[in-house]
Amino acid sequence: MDKETQRVWDSLNRDTQERMAKARTIVGTGKVISVDKTVALLEAIIKPGDKVNLEGNNQKQADFLADCLCKVDKNKVYDLHMIQSVLSLPSHLDVFEKGIAKKVDFSFSGPQAGRLAQLISDKKIELGAIHTYLELFGRYFIDLVPKVALIVAFQADKEGNLYTGFNTEDTPVIVEATKFKQGIVVAQVNEIVDKLPRIDIPADWVDFVVKSPSPFYIEPLFTRDPALITDSQVLRAMMAIKGIYAEYGVQRLNHGVGFDTAAIELLLPTYGEELGLKGKICSYFSLNPHPTMIPAIESGWVKSIHSFGGELGMEDYVRARPDVFFVGPDGSMRSNRAYSQMAGHYSLDMFIGGTLQIDKYGNSSTATASRVAGFGGAPNMGCDAKGRRHSTEAWLKCGQEYGMSHELVGNLPRGKRLVVQLQETFREKLAPGFVEELDAWKLAKNANLDIPPVMIYGDDLTHVVTEEGIAYLHKCSSLVERTAAIRAVAGYTEVGMLAKPEDTAALRKKGIVKTPEDLGIDISRANRSLLAAKNIRELVTWSKGLYNPPAKFRNW
Amino acid sequence: MSVWNQLQKNSFLESSARQRANGIVDNGTFTELLGPRDRVSSPHLPVLGEAVAFDDGIVTGVGLIGKRPVFVISQEGRFIGGSVGEVGGGKMVATLKLAIGAYHQIKEKYPTSYQGRLPAVVISFETGGVRLHESNAGLLAHAEVMDQFQDARGKIPVISLIGSKIGCFGGMGFVGAATDLIIMSEQGRLGLTGPEVIEQEMGKDEFDASNKALVYRTTGGKHKYIMQDCNFLVEDSIEAFRTQLAEVLTLSMESIEEMRRVGSQKLVEEQLELVKLAVELDPRDSMDVWKYFGNESPAILPELSLTDFLKQAKRRVRKVEGGSVNG
Repeated sequence: MDKETQRVWDSLNRDTQERMAKARTIVGTGKVISVDKTVALLEAIIKPGDKVNLEGNNQKQADFLADCLCKVDKNKVYDLHMIQSVLSLPSHLDVFEKGIAKKVDFSFSGPQAGRLAQLISDKKIELGAIHTYLELFGRYFIDLVPKVALIVAFQADKEGNLYTGFNTEDTPVIVEATKFKQGIVVAQVNEIVDKLPRIDIPADWVDFVVKSPSPFYIEPLFTRDPALITDSQVLRAMMAIKGIYAEYGVQRLNHGVGFDTAAIELLLPTYGEELGLKGKICSYFSLNPHPTMIPAIESGWVKSIHSFGGELGMEDYVRARPDVFFVGPDGSMRSNRAYSQMAGHYSLDMFIGGTLQIDKYGNSSTATASRVAGFGGAPNMGCDAKGRRHSTEAWLKCGQEYGMSHELVGNLPRGKRLVVQLQETFREKLAPGFVEELDAWKLAKNANLDIPPVMIYGDDLTHVVTEEGIAYLHKCSSLVERTAAIRAVAGYTEVGMLAKPEDTAALRKKGIVKTPEDLGIDISRANRSLLAAKNIRELVTWSKGLYNPPAKFRNW
Repeated sequence: MSVWNQLQKNSFLESSARQRANGIVDNGTFTELLGPRDRVSSPHLPVLGEAVAFDDGIVTGVGLIGKRPVFVISQEGRFIGGSVGEVGGGKMVATLKLAIGAYHQIKEKYPTSYQGRLPAVVISFETGGVRLHESNAGLLAHAEVMDQFQDARGKIPVISLIGSKIGCFGGMGFVGAATDLIIMSEQGRLGLTGPEVIEQEMGKDEFDASNKALVYRTTGGKHKYIMQDCNFLVEDSIEAFRTQLAEVLTLSMESIEEMRRVGSQKLVEEQLELVKLAVELDPRDSMDVWKYFGNESPAILPELSLTDFLKQAKRRVRKVEGGSVNG
């Protein structure tokens, strides 16, 4: 008999049906299951060695399902391969310590970075790879397809439709990859209602729904209190606005999260207005709803913002500004990390943000010797998208100035993304912002990584802004010149101390290095009085009472 | 516009110790005593390898409000959290001594017309209390400052201004409470043990220091105003503090004495009654106390503008005579 005719073409589905049948003996026929059966359900639908996606986002967390996964019998469920964008809760690592999971592929680990490094070094976790968000999402559809996805939503209805709303984040991409490869999807929700505001995930893509004992954990990661912005940050913000935003006419951009970019946001309605830049810069953003954007939005600077995730307290404000944000027919925003990252990779003129360390070549990293923090999405935006073919004013100008262009593509015109790092020469506790060698090298050794984790590579970095000046690195035509330009703005760090005054003078003459004076900026004006809002309360006032800051930010 | 005029509009919260000292008295009248040029700095910090400040984080000097010399002590939170060490403490004591000396001199010089010319002391607090690097000297300074308060009592008013970032905590919380009267802004905070220390010692369930709304409900200006721990609540500008200060300086020494919250047998009894009330009420949150004192919807109080708050808030009724003077 021909072997070909016996071949099974739906083994994945048969396997799923077997698991579902086992699950039905535990939870019955409905989609909605009870809290006390959840652990048993997971034991029924997960097999040893499975690829499991536990929804750990940048912000919202499937925390109840994570706890349940930690409680399964490790004689039944073991050697799991966890695939999740963020490791942020203790339970995300407990599952490895308990011997339930073995391997991980992820993007970002923020608060668990130290413990993760230790577990890797102790060989308790086998590390697949550290990705950017887009890379990991891409691999969901290639070779890291989840068999089981444990996800989280605000609400479900009785049929199992889900409302993920403001914090939709990663949910659609996880569910699509899992369900369309015959996997099983379990959702924890805060409430089960008769009618959802809108359907974000249709019911037939969802197998089980459980109402968690308490609402899911969510972190306001993108709120920066203007009260903590320093005069030095105001100075760098002025330099960036005048020397980069205005110089290139940057219209489409992303701001990294941090006080430096918060300062820029709060300077648009004051300093930006004074320079007559409204309408000429900062019209379109790929950005979470940063509360510090409120004054610029209210002053009419911003045409559009698409968001990766939500931000606690901004729900009502965003709902009331549908011309600016992406809101559904029900009026609430829908974030989507995959789409926003895609937009961030291909459709931006500029990425600007802060970092921990920059080396003498312009490579920058947020890694320290003992923390595996991962990347999140910054590298997708903090790079020149090589597949980009459309042109904009800023992209074209940066490409025209690119000192290596002729060496690479001859006389052909090609644009370049502006990738800007804002860096204080000495950071908190006098940690130098510029180093001869990145700590990422030590981390690679400590945690047995194949390559040092680098956030932004030197060849992608176009500008560095410090309180000393701006280095227009892309204008350099050699690595030697680039290093000299970095030293010129690196202040009194070990990197800056090696600057040669004659080199710096030559670079200033060429326009590769510009000091605040070269830019025509009066340093005495660089203080907090330029900020459109000086504290959270003033942001509430700007928002006409629509912004409702979480308790941790209310100093009243 | 002169520097002084610009200072008036400054947020008190964001102003440096020197800006506050200059702005709180009449235009151009402030003279700094033992300023940074004199370079009298802590002898203890260099031993520990720590950086010093040439004013040791405390600005002292004298200016005028009308005809009255106003002796100013202004603490700088940006230098080791406004902590008080040997030199800074010494500067505080010396300033108080100068003020008391001036009182006697003026009375002697103008035996019949000294009213309206007598000095006052103003302390702009921004501190967590004793500087741990030099704790014995710092603690001693606290005691010596309080000792001077006793000498000044009934002669010259000693007035607290609390509206800076660090607030007024630790041992300096006691010192602030021991002054004749306290002017605060909503952003000002007054207490003994700081929020982080409470959390560290008693756990996050007892007090979550990252919950700023909770921190301000418990130590902030509005709460202190309702509790009568502070006498006046003003807007967050140097001008608002200066205006209130100038107004207070028109009061007689007797009225000022009546504003004290501690410092007599009767006042101690009143405080003890509050302790008793706290035990009986067993409040879970400041809002429970606000409600007890007659605020029907306590949750709205933090949201109100100062003007609306002053109109609507019900304060604890003081039993001691004169104690009900309101701002």
